[in-house]
Amino acid sequence: MTVEEKKCHDLTIVSINGSLEASSVPGFMKSSPALTDSQSIVIDLAGVDFLDSSGLGCLVTIARKKREQGGDVRLACLNEKLRRVFEVTQAFRLFDIYDDAESAATTAANK
Amino acid sequence: MKTLIVIREKDYGWLSPFFPGVNPLVMPVCNKPFIEFLIDFSILAGSSAIRIISDGPLNEVERYCEDGSRWGVDVSYASILGNDSIETVIEKNRKYCADQRLLIISGYLFIRYENRQELRHCFAMASGGTLAENERGSIVLAGTPEITGQLPAATPFSLVEFDSIDNYFRLSAEILKEYPSPYVLPGYCNEPDCHIGRNVVIGKGAEIRKPVIIGNNVQIMKGAVVGPSAVVGSNVIIDRESTVSRSILLDNTYIGEQLEVVDRIAAGNILVDPRSGVSIAMEDPHLLSSLPGSAHIGSGLFRYLFHAIVALLLILLLSLPYLMLVPLLKIQGKWKTGSFTFHDIRQGKNLRFVMPSIADEGGIGSLAKALSLDRFPMLFRALAGTIAVIGSFPVEVSHRLEAGYAATGYRPAVFSYAEAEDWPVNAEDSAIVEQFYAAHGSPVRDMVLTIKAFLNRIHSKVQ
Repeated sequence: MTVEEKKCHDLTIVSINGSLEASSVPGFMKSSPALTDSQSIVIDLAGVDFLDSSGLGCLVTIARKKREQGGDVRLACLNEKLRRVFEVTQAFRLFDIYDDAESAATTAANK
Repeated sequence: MKTLIVIREKDYGWLSPFFPGVNPLVMPVCNKPFIEFLIDFSILAGSSAIRIISDGPLNEVERYCEDGSRWGVDVSYASILGNDSIETVIEKNRKYCADQRLLIISGYLFIRYENRQELRHCFAMASGGTLAENERGSIVLAGTPEITGQLPAATPFSLVEFDSIDNYFRLSAEILKEYPSPYVLPGYCNEPDCHIGRNVVIGKGAEIRKPVIIGNNVQIMKGAVVGPSAVVGSNVIIDRESTVSRSILLDNTYIGEQLEVVDRIAAGNILVDPRSGVSIAMEDPHLLSSLPGSAHIGSGLFRYLFHAIVALLLILLLSLPYLMLVPLLKIQGKWKTGSFTFHDIRQGKNLRFVMPSIADEGGIGSLAKALSLDRFPMLFRALAGTIAVIGSFPVEVSHRLEAGYAATGYRPAVFSYAEAEDWPVNAEDSAIVEQFYAAHGSPVRDMVLTIKAFLNRIHSKVQ
């Protein structure tokens, strides 16, 4: 799994490529300080080809911790496989989900 | 042109209590799922792509509509939060909405139209703005007109009141009687006002009175009378000498012998009087009951066998500690039992059983809890197949609807997937992981996760 970061409207967009699963979650959590600080971020999931319950748990944990500190997580570009995971688990109720990372960043920046 | 169909859970909140097992988006109106009426309208208005957006579950809608290829359009799906405004919805779907004229149907609306040809012209010529609205929702068009021309004096469509069970009932009757042609109802229609589906068996002396619509796999037994104004869903049996008129029978319903169903809606074992809104659940299966839908019996049996084997192994493993420790706990007053009622969506019934709890931890109590002896009696239920060894932690009936457990996959069990995964346990998070494995589980994975859940309990007590 690889993680890339870019800035858009002063907001960090974290793009993940590969599988977000039990074995890759610890590495992902350490890959960027933006995941653990209190700032709002956008996580671009376009390149994620597999997400298991640990990966989902990791996204929920990041969102929960950020919200406790006044920040937020927006998710962007869920592919069909991921959208189904969010659908069957009803995790879509917990996140703002965008079909485009930049519009997610723009909306977050304007808030 | 593209279409966004935005329907929130609160829009159809009035319908859910009557038919708890049916997603209101695929609720049949004259045997045609509700969402298909909106898809038809969008296509007739000139859309080539439709996105269905909701803050509630869409899996049943997706199972029915798939990618839209059967209508020759692209159908996609997206989720929003319940309090998102239309502007936010558009922002969340900016990529989809870009560079195209956009039709936004917002709300749980029924749209009436008569002339299909006029719709396309009207939408092609109309400039942006709200084309129709009522207190339940609106139809909005954005973008520049595709062609110029004279708009018809009146819009060729209107919104129908669709916000009560009585309205639903009247609407079905009205479509069947007066407006079947623009909506293209399912079934063969060799003569006006009579739509009959596949595999319909009509017994000797049975009478069909128009207008009527009958779904697929229906048995109408000897001497039964169906119609006038009857909507009969699929997989329905109307037994001997019964009469069904001015009524709606939803899918998988059995109507007993010599009954008279007039001005009613029947769904499984629930009978609704649409005028008063009163519904009753019939206890007598000979009068009214639900018929099983198509289930994957093979895979269910395979899964049950795995669960029974695991339950048996755990019973053998825990019998001795149970017999040794529980009497001691009972003497100390630390072993308490309570009776709970849980709902099993899979079996469609409530289960009542005794669940022990170990009141005070420390010493024997801790050891008993680490060994999951409080779950020991439930293992016999798992062996009998009434609950699973691993699945969802049982939720009391009264909490079932609020917690969103009506979603597919909820399966009460001895151990929960959340315990196996050691997730941060609160109701929402547990539900996520339980539903994940309910959808992605397999018998072997269930066995591994049961062992994990069992060991996690020991581990948490050792720490």
